[in-house]
Amino acid sequence: MARDFYEVLGVSRDAGSEEIQQAFRRLARANHPDVNRDPAAEERFKEINEAYQVLSDPEERRKYDRFGENFRKVPDDWEQPVGAGVGGFRGGGRPRTGPASGFTSAGFDDLGGSIDIEDLLGGMFGRGRARAGPIAGADQEVELPLTVEEAFRGGPRQVTLTGTAGPRTYTVTIPPGVTDGQRIRLAGEGGRGVGAGEPGDLYMVARLLPHPRYRVSGRDITVDLPLAPWEAALGGSVPVPTPAGGTKVEVPPGSSTGRRLRLRGQGMPNPRGAPGDLFAEIAIMVPPRPTEAERELFARLAEVSDFDPRRGG
Amino acid sequence: MTVHFLPVRRPPAAGARRLLSRDEFCRRSGVHPELLRRFVALGLVQAVREPGGELWFPLGQLADVARIERLRRGLGLNYAAIGLVCELLDRIQELERQLRERSS
Repeated sequence: MARDFYEVLGVSRDAGSEEIQQAFRRLARANHPDVNRDPAAEERFKEINEAYQVLSDPEERRKYDRFGENFRKVPDDWEQPVGAGVGGFRGGGRPRTGPASGFTSAGFDDLGGSIDIEDLLGGMFGRGRARAGPIAGADQEVELPLTVEEAFRGGPRQVTLTGTAGPRTYTVTIPPGVTDGQRIRLAGEGGRGVGAGEPGDLYMVARLLPHPRYRVSGRDITVDLPLAPWEAALGGSVPVPTPAGGTKVEVPPGSSTGRRLRLRGQGMPNPRGAPGDLFAEIAIMVPPRPTEAERELFARLAEVSDFDPRRGG
Repeated sequence: MTVHFLPVRRPPAAGARRLLSRDEFCRRSGVHPELLRRFVALGLVQAVREPGGELWFPLGQLADVARIERLRRGLGLNYAAIGLVCELLDRIQELERQLRERSS
């Protein structure tokens, strides 16, 4: 079940209290739910707090070193009957209650020693530094990687988040034509609140994966359209792949590489407005190993034509 | 005692502009009115002052108050430091958003 507390803080078993405190502060800053929005960070943050609460207390730490994860079941006066053997403690001691919450502020009392407004407030609102009232949980974010085709189609998708509390699976409905960076909100599935505080929201942030064929910008899609020299010169109807399955585009005669043909409304769909456009970008290809007949024809063309592409014509 | 004023500029979310009375805001955030007054003085919470002097609070600031309390409870920061942390977190979020937009 629970990970080893020393492992959680990344310190050796003989680490001094100062080293433990340093490791805790560093990890707590990096994993605080408002600094790191990954749901896994909040679980780590709770683990770190729990580990520090035990290892920073010499008495609790001794018990933990001696009894491992069962240390909470050990009575406070265990050191007297220790000669009698460990077995006698099972169930004999009064069970210790765990920490009231993962967000305890224990161990912070030595921070910021100067007198400031906080010290005054500390006396006014409850004991110690932690306010007793409920605190709402933080919002969390996870990335939802999608292929261009998946983003185009949309629809339900299962997302499983792993965590120390076990995997959670959500069925997310992806809106067709979801754009990169768009956030899908799962209300109340974010960080847990303290006390009666409401949980935060979980956001799935759509991330479009690079695609070998499609380049997506907003809702517009660009796709390369390879053409043979004669197709580019003479024009014609040419098939072009689209995430919807493909369509045909009319190439105007005399189209050179780099020309963009716009297919209005053939880009990413938009549930709330006009869909994006699809741009077919012309790229002229030549036969890599021309046959004798092709070579002859090209040579003939070179003789007859006075077209010079380097003379801006 | 000098208190440094650190305005937290954050674009309000949609619907977050609805104003709550001080009592309503305290009830929903679980914050004592005196503490809320301090938050306003420190620039951690922005209130709208009516001509009569009464303070109103945008609904969206409930989430800001929860964040303040989480940072305080989780990292033991004082409120002036939290003002700076919130400001920097918001700025980082905005920069990350711009970076993503530019790279896509």
